[in-house]
Amino acid sequence: MRRNGFFSPARISVIAGHTFTQLVRMKVFYFLAVFVILMLAASFFDMPWSRVTEDSAEQELIILKSTAMGAMAMFSALFAIAGTALLIPKDLEDRTLYTILSKPVPRLDYLLGKLAGVLVLIAVSLLLMDALLTVVLHLRAEELLAAEMEKGAKLGWPQQYLDIRRESISQQGVTWDLQAGIAAIFFKATVMASLALLISTFSSSTLFTIVIAVVIYFIGHFTADARNYWLYSQKDGVSGELKILTQGVALIFPDFQLYNIIDASIEGKKIGQGVLARLAILTLFYAGIYSVLAWFTFRKKEF
Amino acid sequence: MPRYRYLPYQFNMEVTPAVQINHLVKEFPSPFRKSRVRAVDDVSLAIMPGEVYGLIGPNGSGKSTTMKALLGLLAPTRGSCHVFGKNSMKTDSRQEIGFLPENPYFYKHLSGEETLRFYAKLCGMRGKEVQNRVEEMLEMVSLQDARKRRIGGYSKGMLQRIGLAQALIHDPRLLILDEPTAGVDPIGSRQIRDLIVDLKARGVTVFLCSHLLEQVQEVCDHVGIIFNGKIVKEGRLEDLIAIEDQTEVVIRNASSRTLARIRAVIADAENAEFVRMGKPKTTLERLFLDEARKSDALANASDHAETAATAAKPGNTNEQGDPHA
Repeated sequence: MRRNGFFSPARISVIAGHTFTQLVRMKVFYFLAVFVILMLAASFFDMPWSRVTEDSAEQELIILKSTAMGAMAMFSALFAIAGTALLIPKDLEDRTLYTILSKPVPRLDYLLGKLAGVLVLIAVSLLLMDALLTVVLHLRAEELLAAEMEKGAKLGWPQQYLDIRRESISQQGVTWDLQAGIAAIFFKATVMASLALLISTFSSSTLFTIVIAVVIYFIGHFTADARNYWLYSQKDGVSGELKILTQGVALIFPDFQLYNIIDASIEGKKIGQGVLARLAILTLFYAGIYSVLAWFTFRKKEF
Repeated sequence: MPRYRYLPYQFNMEVTPAVQINHLVKEFPSPFRKSRVRAVDDVSLAIMPGEVYGLIGPNGSGKSTTMKALLGLLAPTRGSCHVFGKNSMKTDSRQEIGFLPENPYFYKHLSGEETLRFYAKLCGMRGKEVQNRVEEMLEMVSLQDARKRRIGGYSKGMLQRIGLAQALIHDPRLLILDEPTAGVDPIGSRQIRDLIVDLKARGVTVFLCSHLLEQVQEVCDHVGIIFNGKIVKEGRLEDLIAIEDQTEVVIRNASSRTLARIRAVIADAENAEFVRMGKPKTTLERLFLDEARKSDALANASDHAETAATAAKPGNTNEQGDPHA
């Protein structure tokens, strides 16, 4: 007889593969059509003021990146919350959960499989959008660079200034820093998906899960500011208990300001590998905590 | 191919029961009252390997709750459930169980074949083993032709059959069926019952919950009657339904004279009393199945006749395709 371990990566991958197929067959990739339209609009639409300033070429590229990465962040957060919130209640409603849990499937494997399936979907979506952005951005950057060099040659700019302009425009094109920003979008979606998974293990409806997850998503964007403001406003200093309390709140409401490298990458700033690595560890920490809590809720749940 | 893997328990008294439920109590919190609702009240039963056990009772009597406790989907408030000696709350116990829930809905986006593959892989099967088992199961439930069709387009009977196939995909020793023929037409219902009888012959233990008493009577060799969460009667079906002080004799082609002589013999016998005489009746289900079979045969015969007549037409024998030649 087969022994069933506490945790089986093979079984998790089976559930993840199935979850991915399930979401794909729900035609979620149709959103790519919307993304393509957005990209085309952003790359062909010239702002009336776009060529007024000295760094107009960079501004155009920033607008293009900002549109694309805004859409990426929105779609990935949407998939992370709605996709995850939908899965467990749907399995319960359709009674497919009975047929799965009556097989030798540990509940942890089921949860992690579902989460991994959603994350694979988000990763594939981001890769497709990233590929499209890379192509469009490269073509647009080359075009703007050629125009700028031609303009510089006509106006007789010195070589040194031309090199500065070339570097400045290239930094707004396809760079590894941009890829780091897209990785941060994925990390943020990972946190949201694991949070939605946790909520769905105790919530009674998909709508409740989505609403609570969206609220936490928004709170997560200003939780650090609120905490700092509150801590500095304490005139008598901060006690140890209060610090623990604020740290606890920081766990429930993830601090999404830490993921601000997305904005930095859109602006073409350099992002160190150390920053990305720390963000990856932080994401693992959040996802780990939420998954363990989800398992604690789910392992004794009765159906 | 039938496999007789397990000896009937009569031959081996030391054998571990397939199902052992000990003083199972399950209570649910009541939303508006302090007291809790007791769905299962001190249920104890044992099912030996190779038996087909039917748990019968009205809706809300605690059948499904007992089943869910056995599957580890519910934790007992008190008592315990064991499957082949393993606590049902442990994942390993489910390696031995195949389960078909009442009105099963599978993932509509998957085809029948994909569904079986998914469940086979969940049970730890890989590669060629999955392929072979899926083929075997599709053949067993006669769904080879519908293997590529999405589950969303399956009829109720087909859903039950694919459900049975998924329950058996990992070759479990115990099959738990919750109302397996609910909502299925008589032909589909008959197919499912034939499958249960076949599984019994293979040595698979079956635990069946139903309120369709006639079907339970047909396939089960042990039954338990559950009412308000309590087992009120349990035992071998033959023992429970036999009327001990009566004897049934069925005679074919008996003349009225023979029947009169039999009655006279009974009248002369000491303590014997004539109770009833008449023609035994078939069931409505058997009548329906016979008629369906006859109509099927008739339709096939007429198809064959039509094909033969078309082939025999003089114009059709011309291979050059000129009917006027």
